[in-house]
Amino acid sequence: MPTGSFFEWLTKTPWAKAMNGPEWAFPVVESLHFMGLALSVGTIAIVDLRLLGIAMRRQSASELAADLDKWTWIGLALMLITGPLMFSADAVNYHYNPAFQFKMVCLLLALVFYFTLHRYATRSTTQSLLANLAGAVSLALWICVVAGGRMIAFV
Amino acid sequence: MNIVSALEWVESTGLSTAIREGALLYPIIGGFHLLSIALFGGMLVMTDLRLLGWAMQRRTVSDVLEQFRAWKRAGFALVVSSGLLLAWAEPLKLYRSPSFWEKMALLVLVGVHALVFRHGVYENAKALDAGLTPQAKLAAALSLTLWAGLIVTGRLIAFDA
Repeated sequence: MPTGSFFEWLTKTPWAKAMNGPEWAFPVVESLHFMGLALSVGTIAIVDLRLLGIAMRRQSASELAADLDKWTWIGLALMLITGPLMFSADAVNYHYNPAFQFKMVCLLLALVFYFTLHRYATRSTTQSLLANLAGAVSLALWICVVAGGRMIAFV
Repeated sequence: MNIVSALEWVESTGLSTAIREGALLYPIIGGFHLLSIALFGGMLVMTDLRLLGWAMQRRTVSDVLEQFRAWKRAGFALVVSSGLLLAWAEPLKLYRSPSFWEKMALLVLVGVHALVFRHGVYENAKALDAGLTPQAKLAAALSLTLWAGLIVTGRLIAFDA
């Protein structure tokens, strides 16, 4: 099956039809996406700022990561449900949207980084160059994800 | 001078025209608005979840509240100033948007919330280390509700026009 018809099929699925149905459906799902954003990126950013040594200095990065992990997961789950729902509503157009493509590349990089080097850096108990670097890269990647997402409506 | 002609004057200013008609300025400012939710919203949610006793229980209330306070204020300043710029760009559209006025009403309630609970909860963190009070939990629940309402009404503005 060529990819084009996969995206066309997506727009005809029951959940895509529900998204395009009542006019409140899209904004409500989008609002949930933003709440998930604050919970996922927001909690990762707290750990990043700690890795940079500029926030929550009374705790170690590993303590904070352990505290926040559950909430990061809830946020990520909310994002990964609401995001594809919005995508399905207009899959063909999103697929060709350069801002969307940029966002997906950054998202993939941000997630891979989060589960590998970021994890590794938060385990270390001392403030190191590696920790600073991991915090900065993580923040930069997530900022690109959010900025790319904002641009989707404008390109 | 009535309100509509005042808003028409706002729209005629150079800054308003530049944000509204420039291809990049509007999404960039909108990006800052959203980024402040992403980067500082987590601290707001965690503060309130800590006050509810649901999150970060291994940290004392004062550890969480005191260390997030400056960041939350910076985030609030960022979200309000980027929001003001966005409003300056299209005041007439917002004037006619019911969701915008709902959002402003919620923002007023945020101010009332701060006045009501600042003394007993948010600047009384040390006392809460001994145990969470019903007042603290109420403050947190109301704060989360107001915050969710601001997001929903803010998002609905784009669908009003």
